[in-house]
Order: sequence, then C-alpha cells, then structure tokens
Amino acid sequence: MRLFLLIIGIYTTSEINLLAAEAGMPQLDPTYWASQTFWLILIFTTLYLTLSNLFIPKIKDNIDSRENKIKDDLDEAQKLKNLAEQKLREYELSIENAKKEVQKIIFESKNKLNLEIQNKKREFEKEIEIEIANAEEEIVNLKQDSLKDISIISEEMASKVIEQISGEPMNQSSVKAAILETTKNNLGKYL
Amino acid sequence: MATNPMHQFEVHRIGPEIKLAGIDLSFTNASLFMFFSAAAICAILFLGTKEKKLIPDKFQLIAEMFYNFIAKMISDTAGSKAKPYFPFIFSLFMFVLFCNMLGMLPYSFTVTSHIIVTLLMAIFIFIAVTIIGFLKHGFGYLKLFVPSGVPLILLPLITVIEIISYLSRPVSLSVRLFANMMAGHTMLKVFGGFVISLGMLGGWLPLGFSVALTGLEILVAFLQAYVFAILTCIYLNDALNLHH
Repeated sequence: MRLFLLIIGIYTTSEINLLAAEAGMPQLDPTYWASQTFWLILIFTTLYLTLSNLFIPKIKDNIDSRENKIKDDLDEAQKLKNLAEQKLREYELSIENAKKEVQKIIFESKNKLNLEIQNKKREFEKEIEIEIANAEEEIVNLKQDSLKDISIISEEMASKVIEQISGEPMNQSSVKAAILETTKNNLGKYL
Repeated sequence: MATNPMHQFEVHRIGPEIKLAGIDLSFTNASLFMFFSAAAICAILFLGTKEKKLIPDKFQLIAEMFYNFIAKMISDTAGSKAKPYFPFIFSLFMFVLFCNMLGMLPYSFTVTSHIIVTLLMAIFIFIAVTIIGFLKHGFGYLKLFVPSGVPLILLPLITVIEIISYLSRPVSLSVRLFANMMAGHTMLKVFGGFVISLGMLGGWLPLGFSVALTGLEILVAFLQAYVFAILTCIYLNDALNLHH
C-alpha cells in the first residue's frame, strides 16, 4: 500500500515535469526544419532510386524464377505421371494378350491330344477286332478238328467194344454211320 | 537535463555548419539516423539479393517477405492499377519501419518522432495522390467529394465534410505517426527515470513496465509503419479507382 502511494506520488510529480517539458517540445523548434527537409528529400530520393532500380527488380526476379521453377517441376511431374500411367496400361494390355494366347495354346493342345488319343484308340480297337477274328477262326478250326478226332476215336472205341462183346468184327461202315448219327444228335449239347 | 524525457528529441548539429543561401542545412543527428535507416535497408536487401537461391537463406527470406508483404498490401487495397507505385510504397514502408525500429535502440534518435519529417512525407503523398487523381480522371476526380446516393438536401453538407476530410488527410497521416512515436519514447524515458529515482527498493516495478513497454513500442513501431503505408495505398486507391 505504501509502495503504491509512493508510485502515485512520483507519477504525479513527473507528470508535472512532463507537462513542463512539453512546453519546450524540440519538434516545434524551427531551427533545423530546413536541414531535416533537405536531408530527408536527399536520403529518401536516393533510397527510392536505389530500391526501385537495383533491389526490387532483383527480388522480383528471384521470386519469379522460383515460381517458374516450381511450375516447371509440377508440369514435369504431371508429364511423368501420365507417361507412367500409359506404360502401366500398355503393360496390362500385354499381360492380357499373353493370357489369351496361353488359353488358346492350351485349348489347341487339348484338341490335338484328344484327336491323337481317339486315333490311337481306333487303331487299337481295329487290331483287337482282327485278333478276335483270328482267335474265333482258330476256335472254329479247333472245334472241327476235335469233332473229327472225336468221331474217329468213338468209331475205334465202338468197333473195339463190339468186337469184345460179340467176338467178331463189325462192319466198319455201319459203325461209322451209327456214330455219325449219334454225334449229330448229341454234339450240340457239349460244344 | 538527462532526466528530461524530451531531451531525446533534440536535434543537434554534427560536423561543420552548412549554409546555403542563408538557410541552415547542417548535417544533424536526425540526418545521421535517416542515413543509418537507408543504409540498413540497403544492407539487408543487398544481403537478401546477393545470391539467387532456389531455397532462400535467412536474408533472402527477409527481403522476399518484405516484398510479398507490400505487394499483397497494395494489391488488396489499391488493386492491380497501383503496381507502378510499388517501389515508392515499398521504399516508404521500409524507411518508416527502419526509422521507427532504429529509434528503439538506446541513445538513438527517432527520425519519425519529428512532425516536420512526417508532415513532409504526408504532404508529398497528398500532393502526389491529388495529381495522379486529376491526371487519371481529369475534373471528374472532383466527383470524389460528391458521393452518389445521398439525398439532395444533405449533398452540400456532405460535400463540405468530404472536402474537409480530404484536406485533413496529410495532417492526420503525419500527426498519427509523429504522436505515436513521441508518446511511446517519452513513456519509455519516464519509466526509465522512475527506475533510477526509486532505486533498488522500488525500481523493479517501473523496470517491469519498461520491459513491457519496449515490447509494445516495437509493435507500435511496426504497426505505425504499416498504417502509414496502407493509408497511402488507400489514398492511392481513391485516385486510381474512382468509385463515385
């Protein structure tokens, strides 16, 4: 509180001093007005001419060249981006083409393989048929041969049996005829 | 004498007395700080344009920031027609800003705290804008004082008000900058004086104020330069794009 009062007291005294000093404001003393006018005009004109002819064009040039550089870089980046996108499209297109080709190749080779398999199959079937035909012929031959053998053996056996039983040989041709007849009747049952 | 807060605004001669046709044109501390400001601007812009880098270094960034700041301000307030006046407004803003900022250094002199300096700049801008207005629109520029869509009874009154407001432009423009600079520096000096007079015991509070005021004054220094430049742009806009 005492400090506060002290400050107020000093402030009021200095305010009086201030007002007293303001009576003699050096700004209103005209002694050096002409000098200030002269030097202000001289120095400000020099400053203006220096700035407008030397420094301002330089600064403007700097700023402009930077802006141009940035713009050029952006344009370049855009160009490169477009180029990259085009390349990507080309690449995708070539991949797609390659895929199509692969599918075509697969399809073709499948067809070819199928055809070959079919041909081989047919050939084998033909061969098998020939083999079967041969085998059947052989079987028929064998059947006939065996039929002949059977009739000869049965004739002999029949004549021997008759000889044993009757004690005298039978007429060969009648035995043969009887055997032939029985064979005809019963052979179908066994062969 | 040293505790007088107005002492810092005194102009004194440096070097020999230069008299031309009976008028005293001696080199003073005011001239010295005008020269320092111009030299500082040139030095920063020289360092900022020395190398032309794609990625700017610190000084180049500062120079380009100033350039873009002023360019945006002009195009926002006065449109594309004001482009030929860019170098002038750029120089004006830089000069006022650097004079204000150099004035923030201890023991330095604030050029813009003198009414004669700010008044000269304001009168130059006023005359130049008026000439540009008449060159662009001929006597049609006088339509600026006669706003459209005003009732006929009010028209004479409005016109008188418009003329007075137009004529007071250089005064308001110069006094705003001058008064802000003078008041700020006087305040700093007063609080600085308090620190000494209150000593180790009570001097801490005004010291704190002094620190805060320094920050505020730096803001004001920038702000007043900005206001000075943007008002110039607005006046230029009136002259270039007549809206009435």
